[in-house]
Amino acid sequence: MTEKILSVGIDLGTSTTQLVLSELFIENMASAFSIPRIVISDKKVIYRSDIRFTPILADNLIDADAIKDFVEAQYLKAGIQKEDIQMGAVIITGETARKENASKVLSALSGFAGDFVVATAGPDLESIIAGKGAGAHLYSKEKRLSVVNLDIGGGTTNLALFEEGEVVDTGCLDIGGRLIKVEPKTKKITYIAPKIQEIINKKGLAIQLNQPTSVEQLQPIIQEMVHLLENSVGLGMQSQFYQYIITNKGLRLGQCIKGISFSGGVADCIAKELPEDPFKYGDIGLLLGQGIAHSRLVMEKEVIPSVETIRATVVGAGSHTAEVSGSTITYTKAILPIQNIPILKLAKADEIGTSDEMATKIREKLQWYQLENEFQKIALGLSGEKNPSFQTVLTLAEAIVKGLETLIQRKEPLIIMVQEDMAKALGQSIHSLLPKDYPFVCLDSVRVENGDYIDIGNPIAGGTVLPVVVKTLVFN
Amino acid sequence: MVDEKNLKTIIENILNEMTAGNVDVTNDVQSAVAVKAAETVSQSKIEDGCIPDITEVDIKKQFLVPHAEDPEGYQKMKQYTPARLGLWRAGTRYKTQSTLRFRADHAAAQDAVFSYVDEALVKEMNFVAVETLCRDKDEYVTRPDLGRQFSPEMCEKIKENTTHGAKIQVVVGDGLSSAAIGANIKEIIPSIKQGLKMFNLDFDSVVFVKHARVPSMDKIGELTDADVVCLLIGERPGLVTAESMSAYIAYRPTVDMPEARRTVISNIHSGGTPAVEAGAYIAELIKNMLDKKKSGIDLKEAE
Repeated sequence: MTEKILSVGIDLGTSTTQLVLSELFIENMASAFSIPRIVISDKKVIYRSDIRFTPILADNLIDADAIKDFVEAQYLKAGIQKEDIQMGAVIITGETARKENASKVLSALSGFAGDFVVATAGPDLESIIAGKGAGAHLYSKEKRLSVVNLDIGGGTTNLALFEEGEVVDTGCLDIGGRLIKVEPKTKKITYIAPKIQEIINKKGLAIQLNQPTSVEQLQPIIQEMVHLLENSVGLGMQSQFYQYIITNKGLRLGQCIKGISFSGGVADCIAKELPEDPFKYGDIGLLLGQGIAHSRLVMEKEVIPSVETIRATVVGAGSHTAEVSGSTITYTKAILPIQNIPILKLAKADEIGTSDEMATKIREKLQWYQLENEFQKIALGLSGEKNPSFQTVLTLAEAIVKGLETLIQRKEPLIIMVQEDMAKALGQSIHSLLPKDYPFVCLDSVRVENGDYIDIGNPIAGGTVLPVVVKTLVFN
Repeated sequence: MVDEKNLKTIIENILNEMTAGNVDVTNDVQSAVAVKAAETVSQSKIEDGCIPDITEVDIKKQFLVPHAEDPEGYQKMKQYTPARLGLWRAGTRYKTQSTLRFRADHAAAQDAVFSYVDEALVKEMNFVAVETLCRDKDEYVTRPDLGRQFSPEMCEKIKENTTHGAKIQVVVGDGLSSAAIGANIKEIIPSIKQGLKMFNLDFDSVVFVKHARVPSMDKIGELTDADVVCLLIGERPGLVTAESMSAYIAYRPTVDMPEARRTVISNIHSGGTPAVEAGAYIAELIKNMLDKKKSGIDLKEAE
């Protein structure tokens, strides 16, 4: 018995906006005689939208109405009703990734397309989503090979390193195909990004805004960009500009990286020879692509074919952001969906002791999140025990309810994420200790860490499981 | 049995080794044995150490193939199955530790069938202890029909010690694995109870059935007139675990009803669904049965 779920992914980037529709197949993998085990068994992209420029009003604000029109038009083209969509993610990336934009887009699309999970992606999350969209995680899992995906877009290069299907590190560099824009006819430079301008100045190159240019003239800066990309995966002597070009952080160096894959718009430009008109896109994407084709990146690493290139991020957003919780969970439906809640993860050592000792630990950690009297909602993350005794569950429930007293006083819903399969029993225990009809969610089988944010959607598969999006921001 | 001649040879050999041939044992084995035996007793040192328990080894993580081409890959595959793979060989046979482990697991499975649930546990849990018509384990194994029937006295005992017409009657049966009951029952009963509390439901005294077959719950259903009968019973043990328990749950079961009217949750053990979590799930299942007044296939179809 397979349930099909229609999921939408929308990527609002600095330069382009696109949408994909995917079918996720939800299946109970357990036999008829055991407790259900519901998993996403398959994912299929069924519709890829046109790619349009992101409609931006003044001050980097997204034109939400234009987005709504775009989405509406694409649904019509795909021949689906907005009511059919059950799950989705809107990923707002790059410079448009701002709080105001997120809430604007959410309200414009609310009620319009199922239960959206809106995520404003920072560079780390964007890297992961793009890497998964490109298929690097699956390749690393099947071939048991460490694979880095470079998603080279217009403004940034997002790196995600996968080992055995798991993300182990991310990084981001300010290198992209549209950092220098060139008028295709006159070959005049119409834009140079600030960081690139700085490098041009430092190197004393004769590349100037509003002046005509040529492939030859741009070569030195292209070579520098390629060199920086080589540096980013640990190849070559480190350039003096390497630290400068990093957006927020690079990959930790000295890691074993066997395979490399490319996605993003520039991935389609990777070729040994330049086409007849190297500036036909009005930027340096083709030049950068050619540079990569001759670089140590492709010569010293095993190049892995990407499943998606320019659409990697949006496909990742539509098919790879959501996971499903364990199938034995407890929740009160009224509080769903839940968005953007930071995780407070207890250390394994904090989960030992009497309920009072544990409650004190929870209270202490809760303090970290309460800044200057400003109240912050949190979701409590726990490891739990593999085969717990009833007493253990009870003690844990008591500790949680005592430790989160401040939340209960404020009537904030309790959100508990436990890793081991014990959420139903734990949830029922917590329920017995809470005031009557108190809203809470207790789910398991989803791994979370401190620094993650989570979104929880409305129940699927007949209410047995909840879709969860874990927005991982930190790596150990 | 070892015959006397063999025994003599064995003792001779042992003594030869111990004394390195200093004593002429062949002449007077009898006395030598006596003397040496006394000496060995006095000389033997009792150590505190213990032999490692071979059943403690996690088979899923045990990998004995030497010089494997891709050991990580093999071990990864092993994570998906409890089957005894990658244990290598000695000639055409298993290695000693694999053979011993196999025999240990097999012995545990047999013990689980032929042993009884600890009476202290039955007392501690305040179960109402009854038994079917089977007189011993041999009769239990060979006569499934008797494992579902009670004597008039037992019927009376069940009636007297349970609430008539309760919403829920919980029954525990040894079934084919007493070990399963010993391992899980203390955790699952309070978990079911607490889970039911969420729906303002509860149950009273729990009946414990010795020599129980699944359909014994049907008779108990008729005797107690309960709406839902939930039987927790030891599963036929295998080589993976001897501690697996099942829950058979039915809405108003009757003797000779079709098997399709039972809902079953199997695989309740530490390596499957943890008892506590299974209890929580069973509570919700019972609530669902009470709402829909159905169980088994009928309940599935109603969903």
